[in-house]
Amino acid sequence: MSDYGVLLQQVVNGLSLGAMYALLALGFTLVYGILELINFAHFNVFMVSSFVGMWALELLGISGQSRVLTGFALAGTLLFAFGVTMVAAGVLGVAVERLSLRPLRGVRGTAAMITTIGVSYILFNAILLTVGAGSENYPNPLPVVRWQFGEVTLELKELLIWGIAVALMLALHFFVSRTRLGKAMRATAQDAEAARMMGVDVDRVIVTAFFLGSALAGAAALIFGLYYNYTSFIIGYTAGLRAFTAAVLGGIGSIPGAMIGGVLIGLIETLGGHLIAVRWTDVIIFSILVLVLVFAPTGLFGRATPTKS
Amino acid sequence: MRSTLAALPRVWTTSLFARVPARTRTRVGTLVIAAAALLFPLINSNDADIDAAANALAFAALALGLNIVVGFAGLLDLGYAAFFAIGAYAYGVASSWQWHPEWSSFWEPFRWLDLVARYHQGGGDVVHFQVSFWLMLPLAAAIAAFFGVLFGAPTLRLKGDYLAIVTLGFGEIVPIVARNTPTITNGAMGLNGVAAPQFFGYDFGVDATPYYYVGVALVAVLILTSLRLKDSRVGRAWMAIREDEIAAAAMGVDRVRFKLLAFAIGAAFAGATGTFYVAKLQTATPEMFMFPVSVMVLVMIVFGGIGSVWGVVVGALVLQILQSWFLEDLSQWLHALGRFAGIDWLQHIELASSIELIFGVILVLMMLYRREGLIPATRHVRALSVDEQNVQVARGGFDPVRAITSSDRRTDGPLLEVADLNVRFGGLVALRAVELVVPVQKVVAVIGPNGSGKSTLFNTITGLLPVHTGDIRFAGEEIGRLRPHEVLYQGIARTFQNIRLFPDLTVLENVMIGMHARLATGPVGALLRLPANRREEEAARERACEILSLFGNRLLPRADHLAGSLSYANRRRTEIARALASQPKLLLLDEPTAGMNPAETLELADQIQSLNHYGLTVLLIEHKLDVVAMLADKVIVLDHGEKIAEGPPETVRRDEEVIRAYLGRSAALA
Repeated sequence: MSDYGVLLQQVVNGLSLGAMYALLALGFTLVYGILELINFAHFNVFMVSSFVGMWALELLGISGQSRVLTGFALAGTLLFAFGVTMVAAGVLGVAVERLSLRPLRGVRGTAAMITTIGVSYILFNAILLTVGAGSENYPNPLPVVRWQFGEVTLELKELLIWGIAVALMLALHFFVSRTRLGKAMRATAQDAEAARMMGVDVDRVIVTAFFLGSALAGAAALIFGLYYNYTSFIIGYTAGLRAFTAAVLGGIGSIPGAMIGGVLIGLIETLGGHLIAVRWTDVIIFSILVLVLVFAPTGLFGRATPTKS
Repeated sequence: MRSTLAALPRVWTTSLFARVPARTRTRVGTLVIAAAALLFPLINSNDADIDAAANALAFAALALGLNIVVGFAGLLDLGYAAFFAIGAYAYGVASSWQWHPEWSSFWEPFRWLDLVARYHQGGGDVVHFQVSFWLMLPLAAAIAAFFGVLFGAPTLRLKGDYLAIVTLGFGEIVPIVARNTPTITNGAMGLNGVAAPQFFGYDFGVDATPYYYVGVALVAVLILTSLRLKDSRVGRAWMAIREDEIAAAAMGVDRVRFKLLAFAIGAAFAGATGTFYVAKLQTATPEMFMFPVSVMVLVMIVFGGIGSVWGVVVGALVLQILQSWFLEDLSQWLHALGRFAGIDWLQHIELASSIELIFGVILVLMMLYRREGLIPATRHVRALSVDEQNVQVARGGFDPVRAITSSDRRTDGPLLEVADLNVRFGGLVALRAVELVVPVQKVVAVIGPNGSGKSTLFNTITGLLPVHTGDIRFAGEEIGRLRPHEVLYQGIARTFQNIRLFPDLTVLENVMIGMHARLATGPVGALLRLPANRREEEAARERACEILSLFGNRLLPRADHLAGSLSYANRRRTEIARALASQPKLLLLDEPTAGMNPAETLELADQIQSLNHYGLTVLLIEHKLDVVAMLADKVIVLDHGEKIAEGPPETVRRDEEVIRAYLGRSAALA
């Protein structure tokens, strides 16, 4: 395989990871846009929902990669798995907001953020204690279908991931730009106080943001499992940090920014890993986070500035 | 009658306690704690218990360090374990056989200093590091502080929450680097054979007791450092940044400098602790310094009380001891209970392994129900009695006091000159070609409708907003490019339209932060408390009280109350007092009488007049035109960012364009 071919293959892999990071980054951006809060619980809402997805698939009798489905059976299974995971993740996100963040609304300083760290830590350890520290073989009903384009291999699962991610993002875009609640959401993001005075139920908007963001994290979690064929209590930390970097790179608070930032981080991860060394991937991505924050704090599409006025 | 009887014993006990002076109480308390700490290994000679106590002390030291960063300066650091790792690996590498570069003459001076030894090996001579533990303690602190500045410098400009995520990343990266550089750190397998400390030939070995005593000494030094820093000009500057960064800058605190200082000192604590910890364990692996350690230290300070020195020590000790002693015992009891009741799952429960879950629960519960922690940093102050609350409304201003007179004061010519000032926000022009002269010892008022650019003018003069084009000269010097704290240093102090006090600090502390730029004590002075530092602090306290006394009995009885608990009018007065504390030549007041009733307004107007009378130049934004007429020598009118009139109050009042700007076109025509 030529260098060029390898590089192109890494681009394909990067797009798949990028689709996942983009979905995860949207959760950070939706919540940040409205509450100006970095929601650390999001890291492990993602991780917990990957287990929910696993259990949903196992409920349908799928374990490991042995049982392969096609046609309607596959579509139905995926629909069920995504549906269950996304709703469960959404409910979990809303529960986090209602139980631990709403009582702190209006408290100055870092209290809310510290609380999300605590919640994240609880979720992390709850899974560690109940499931254990090993990694779980992820049930995967997708048939292994490969197409060869010159030197690049394209897999069915990759096409599927791209398709699902694009569909979800289009749906989110439609929701935010066309529906009443979506408009209320954009209004709240710009000025919560003014939106409240115009009759927007800000609490409902916040709950919606948590539900949508977490549901998208649920989809990302299932994609993670189907792509890597494993899950573990530890996956939230790395994926979360990368997705957060994606949100910042795209401009935190910006929905298209999160999508594009996610894809860029996916590409940087695979290409950086290829060109430098996989063990330094985290250092590379993290350096990007710092560089963006220091030199271009509004990111690619951002409007909220992370620097103090 | 009944109530008197019930109250009797309480009064008696309070008075008995109060009869002992506060200082003696503190001294006795400290002595008791010190004695208990020193005697502990003699009372309980179980080596495992002493070992657990020594580990707990290491975490208490970490908690003290993180408390400087998070508690004092309000910077949320989620990667604090990185500095712990740096200190640990510094000693680990410098005292083990892991890294042995080839011998060259470069190492000769180090051998002379006894830091390295030359060893013969098959392929040639190699270097063996043998740096002493006692030397490494301060050295590791310095190395960690250096990294603290290195990590902090590019990121401290960021909002608190971004700082959190960046530090989280640093905390992630340091163990990765340790894992990926196996020649120096032995990678994931960890450093082995770290030398035990020696003390005059006595080798510490693996016995826990000597480490325990080193831990006690370390924590004692760090407690003393924390207490002295907190109660000093440095600590006040940190807390000002924590409470309100903008106001801190406007009061002369160099934000970048003091944030970096907090980061460096916090990192230094962790560095020294890392050296202690690795010397005790005689091994270091990347896993020892991962995210859970950072979270654990955070939980400790939240549990004990963010910002409270004794609180975080207690928090750390309690949680560590809970982890190593209590949970084991509790699990045993549960097993016994399970056997007794025949419940199977109770017999297998292992609470110690769920410690991190317990930490998470503690963190959330503390944040939701007791944010101030076990031992809160701010103590509650007795409410004022009815008598004390009875204000004596004083008209006619006040007599001259030492506190507000400053030595060099010219008596004529312009003090502040603003020439052709333009300020833009994106496409919006906030100020257009504004010209303004404030003569020495005069009162100039700026009036204009809402949104006309008055506060923007103040923000630009004080360096909070950038000048687009134009000049601002103060006492002949260009100040348009200065940062807020430098502007204050030049002699311009201000208040804010929407009051920016430091709400969780006392009135006295608020005023003393105003003096920041006029005091000299730095971190070393604060730590050593030399006679000069003591004198300075004493004088500052005296002057602060004197300034508070300018407002009669309104602020003085409340000197120890939190600024956030004051009434609206008293908050305004405190903000003016804080500004006066910086010994300004020019005072910028942004709507000082807003929200005050007519009597209070006149009282304050008299006081402003007195300030002016005793030499202070005043630039004032005010909506109440009678106040303006009473105080101002000259009035400037702004509308839509442009100056539309200037002159004595009476002339300006009749100016048609001014009337139009305020009341609309038809009113002007009428």
